[in-house]
Amino acid sequence: MLEARFESALAQRSAPENIYIDMREISERGMIDLRGQTSDRKFTAAARAVLGTDLPKEPRTSATWGDAKILWLSPDQWLITCPRGKAQDLTNALVKELGDTHSLAINVSDMRAIIRLEGEFAREVVMKGSTLDLTDGDYTPGTVRRMRFAEIAALLHIVEEKTIDIYVFRSYAHYAWDFLVKAARKGSEVRLFPNSG
Amino acid sequence: MSGKPYRLSKGGSRIDRSQPISFSFDGKTLSGLAGDTLATAVMASGQKLFGRSFKYHRPRGVVGLGAEEMNALVGVGAGARHEPNLRATQVELYSGLTSISQNRWPSLSFDVGAFNSLFSRFFPGGFYYKTFMWPQAFWKHVYEPFIRRAAGLGKAADERDPDAYEHMHIHADVVVVGGGIAGLTATEAAAVSGARVLLIDENPVLGGIADITAGKAGDSSVADLAKEIAARVAKLPNVHVLTRTTAAGHYHHNYMLAFERVADHDPALLAAGAPRHRLWRIRAGHVILATGALERPIAFANNDRPGIMLAAAARAMVERYGVAPGTSGVVFTNNDDAYLTAFVLKKAGVAVRVVDSRARPEGDLPKLAMADRIEVDAGSVISVVEGSSGVTAVKIAAYRRGQGRVITEKKVACDFVAMSGGFNPVLHLWCHNGGKIRFDDALASFRPHTHGDAITAAGGANGTMSVAETLTEAAAAGEAAAKSVNGKVKASKIKLPKVEEPKRGALETLWFAPATGKYNQGNKHFIDFQNDVTAADLELAQREGYESVEHTKRYTTFGMATDQGKTSNINGLGVLSEATGKPIPEIGITTFRPPYTPYSFGSIAGALTKDLFLPVRRTPIFQWHVDRGAVFEPVGQWRRAYTYPEPGEDKHRSINREILCVRNKVGLLDASTLGKIEIKGPDAAEFLDRMYTNTFSTLKVGKCRYGLMMNELGFLTDDGVTVRLDEDHFLMHTTSGGADRIAAWLEEWLQTEWTQYKVFVTPVTEQWAQFAIAGPRAREVLAKLEPDFHFSNEAFPHMSFKTGKLGGYPVRIFRISFSGEQSYEVATPANLGRGLWDAIMEAGKEFGIAPYGTEALHVLRAEKGYIVIGDETDGTTTPYDVGLDGLVSKKKADFIGKRSLEQAYLKGPNRKQLVGLLTEDPNEVLPDGAYAVRTVKDKPPMEMIGQVTSTYMSPTLNRSIAMALIENGRARMGEVISFPLEGGKVVKAKITGAVFYDKDGGRIHA
Amino acid sequence: MLVVTCPVCGAKGDETDFHYGGQAHIRRPATHDPVNISDEEQRDYLFIRNNPKGLHFERWRCDRGCGKWFHAARDTQSLEFKAFYGIIELPPEELQKEAKGPWADYFKKRAKAKA
Repeated sequence: MLEARFESALAQRSAPENIYIDMREISERGMIDLRGQTSDRKFTAAARAVLGTDLPKEPRTSATWGDAKILWLSPDQWLITCPRGKAQDLTNALVKELGDTHSLAINVSDMRAIIRLEGEFAREVVMKGSTLDLTDGDYTPGTVRRMRFAEIAALLHIVEEKTIDIYVFRSYAHYAWDFLVKAARKGSEVRLFPNSG
Repeated sequence: MSGKPYRLSKGGSRIDRSQPISFSFDGKTLSGLAGDTLATAVMASGQKLFGRSFKYHRPRGVVGLGAEEMNALVGVGAGARHEPNLRATQVELYSGLTSISQNRWPSLSFDVGAFNSLFSRFFPGGFYYKTFMWPQAFWKHVYEPFIRRAAGLGKAADERDPDAYEHMHIHADVVVVGGGIAGLTATEAAAVSGARVLLIDENPVLGGIADITAGKAGDSSVADLAKEIAARVAKLPNVHVLTRTTAAGHYHHNYMLAFERVADHDPALLAAGAPRHRLWRIRAGHVILATGALERPIAFANNDRPGIMLAAAARAMVERYGVAPGTSGVVFTNNDDAYLTAFVLKKAGVAVRVVDSRARPEGDLPKLAMADRIEVDAGSVISVVEGSSGVTAVKIAAYRRGQGRVITEKKVACDFVAMSGGFNPVLHLWCHNGGKIRFDDALASFRPHTHGDAITAAGGANGTMSVAETLTEAAAAGEAAAKSVNGKVKASKIKLPKVEEPKRGALETLWFAPATGKYNQGNKHFIDFQNDVTAADLELAQREGYESVEHTKRYTTFGMATDQGKTSNINGLGVLSEATGKPIPEIGITTFRPPYTPYSFGSIAGALTKDLFLPVRRTPIFQWHVDRGAVFEPVGQWRRAYTYPEPGEDKHRSINREILCVRNKVGLLDASTLGKIEIKGPDAAEFLDRMYTNTFSTLKVGKCRYGLMMNELGFLTDDGVTVRLDEDHFLMHTTSGGADRIAAWLEEWLQTEWTQYKVFVTPVTEQWAQFAIAGPRAREVLAKLEPDFHFSNEAFPHMSFKTGKLGGYPVRIFRISFSGEQSYEVATPANLGRGLWDAIMEAGKEFGIAPYGTEALHVLRAEKGYIVIGDETDGTTTPYDVGLDGLVSKKKADFIGKRSLEQAYLKGPNRKQLVGLLTEDPNEVLPDGAYAVRTVKDKPPMEMIGQVTSTYMSPTLNRSIAMALIENGRARMGEVISFPLEGGKVVKAKITGAVFYDKDGGRIHA
Repeated sequence: MLVVTCPVCGAKGDETDFHYGGQAHIRRPATHDPVNISDEEQRDYLFIRNNPKGLHFERWRCDRGCGKWFHAARDTQSLEFKAFYGIIELPPEELQKEAKGPWADYFKKRAKAKA
């Protein structure tokens, strides 16, 4: 039999033109949903043993270890991202290490689509669809926050000052993409607090 | 109505005389200047008439300066871009602008409706209520069309809007509304104190009315002061300035909406990709209202004639646009401010005199006027205006306060009047969210009082009219706002200039200028110009018993429509006060509601139009369905393939073909939308026993079980197959529409009721593409894809589960069936879904595989009597009602909804029960939702005993089948019941069991 | 548009990022004694709610944030939130004292039961 054929959520969308930020789908990342209680030392130790770093406990933060990132989703839930090819092995390693500890680790690499926004105005484009104040100093690189975006649920990850990843459930990927292309249309720049530098 | 051009030879701070601009008004090409508004450009050309009034069709001209304009409503733009009801005073001129007047037929100068005016005695307040009452049948075909044609404002475009709109969110410590000297000062003060400030102004240029305000600030004029602050503010890093933006509404917790006209003034911006309008959704820490005050008209006879303007508007026309309101005018006032207009007119070479209702005006400005040899009639009023389509003369009468009628009067020729009845603080935003206001006698108007939100008013909006006091108050407001939000402020403070300004004399209240004859007889003293409400109408409403101001408002329509009482409210209250002898605070005030001025539907919709109107969810196979020509149906936000018609097939035939393909060969269904939730933990089994009506703790690992879920009321809310992946690990399937709801439902109970349970719930719906391969040859298709996999009944019986590989794809396979056929549901990670789907279609070719859609799925399940939550249940249906008693555990002590099933009202007799129906005529398909009645009568009402829940033509059985909820249905097997349909037709059907096909279920296990 | 703050994760945002979950502190009889529940008791559990003008106690979920449920004390007249507190907690003492009508009765009963 042939090898399994891979098609990401936005594989059929062409690169947008005439927009004032850079925008693309990140399809090469795998994702693992991890549940557990931070009060359970066995759980935190097992996670650390596999991931190489502590799970971030501070709300809306993330941690990085090598090519993996751990995004805080909830006091008992994290999203681990890693190169797609490693996701299943990493999930298996977690499941094995966690053993009987009350936890749940699932490979959810295909559940969400990631759209990367880059550029001077990445934050303002997101703010056309979100009530969050991304000009606030709280939104430093590494910040993670779930939010309502346009009419759907999304996960925001400030990767760098001018680089933002938006995670949306796969079925909404086209909707989110089309919204962003419209919001980032050249000529619709807002320039919030234009002198703020 | 064209006369001489009124453009002055010099002056005009906002116009550029080197840039003429061509535009059209009512089909006529006119020329204006860059910087003009539509109002000033048209008036400069000599035309004063802009439209006709709502009820009487009286000719009307420009009255105001900006948002308060109530007469000159115009339609701007052509075709799809036409927008009605814009205030000509706010429309910025651009080359090629097309505009039309409104509310006239057939043309502006000759208007058929003007005959209303001749018969205006018959159009008193409450006219519509009094006249169009009887007979009722006349409403639809006679009265309503008449009213709609005769009244009404502009017409909306009837083509699709070609432009883009958007929303933008912004958060600011301090939001300042209004960019006059108060707003600018407050902005600067708050910003240098360290706050992030958003300044909003509805005009294209900041400064408010600084340029038409008297006084000196340091060495500068007030106008220059405003410019200097605006320039400083524009450079601050913590300030965002929005011009051409109207703060439309103020809501709870300092949420605000503001409407930005991004490209209305410049079509080139639209072409470059700008949104036409942008709706700002604002969250403010503190709000400062520096919205200023609006001048109010005076009610004198025929005060609505074209050429009668507010004094400040007349002044601004000269100062800003170099346009004279006429050649010879009368300024009519009860306060000092309007004298500035007289000075400006005189300086521009326009003949002018002043009529002042005050017997002894004592301020600096009246004294200056007299010194400047401007003729002033003190202690006088205008008693009537002569001229019908414009002003030809006014009569001036001696007056003392409280006087009801005029005895002697003198006539003075003139062609315009500039009036000022005082100023009303703009309190709309203050009142939107429940702010209290109080009457100020010196101001003869309302001022802000208390407010539950962090909001303050400064300057004119607070009733503060002096420049010096405004600056002090605004600076303090800005600092205090910054401090209240940030806790502490930077030491830096702004320095205020020393202000010199004329000393003001007191204003004298003047609600109504008497005319000759009896009170108001034969003359119209307009209060609400836009709604054609006169002083007499309000007085009549009082006499007729409409004592509450809220009732008067609705009876007379005063203060409604786009005007929202901007110019009419206080004057109306003043007239009511005089009519009743009650002071204004006792009359009360009608509520101001958002928006301050109307904003476009486009801006409300924002970007969410067309493809973005509703989020549409796509399965990984979506594009295949599209390419295959599928007809789609919405299931929640999903789009699912309903059927796949082949060339030449209608939907009916393709559905039948798909059903028979599943029954006889094999079909493939995209079931990716099914909800999937992983549930894991030592208490997972016990938790599921609480959630489902039936028991899951007894389920063996690797096995599947169908479960029913109720809410606490005992009503069915969801169903689906749950698989035990491991001792402490389950995979729950929910309905497609229920996935999010059920995941949230499980979380809710875990977090709020059974907090001791160690259970994790993680929704994984979207991780998987899932397909049903159903039909007698399903096993052969799978075996071809993966010869080593054991698909036999023995190795893989119905209701069991396996993981493995299928044609190179990692899969979870569930042997479950919603069609009644041998059936496997295969799940693979979503990004591999399309590949696997193609592989199955390819492998299935030789077995006659075809895709089937949701309609075939529904018929297949109905043939088997399987329920669908939402079809056979309606939110008041119990498991007993649908005959699933066997799935309601008798052993479990407690599960969600159990106790409610014991409540008397669910245990009583005559519940509707699920049954099958076979129509007497096998070709007759009952309509969905058809009512069964106890006895058929000639006409309703008939007693209903139930309704059809699912109904289809079954190609398998070659006859119609239906399911229905019928009163005591299970006790009525074999009974024939009647369904009266529209048009007198009655369909009869026999009650049967709900399973129509393969009653012993052998095919599932085949 | 209210501003809500989640006491679990500290997320602050518009009410559209949260989910309103009705009245707080409702006791589910069947969890405690599934056998002896009168029809009236079950009816009250399902349908009878407080509707005060003023201080009220309600449930919210951090719907677009951490997903956790929590409690809020809110003035139904001014719409001001007086406190956010945990989903298995009672409101701060001073708010229990400030509560009126059925809420005051409820908190007294809880205090008595505890004592």
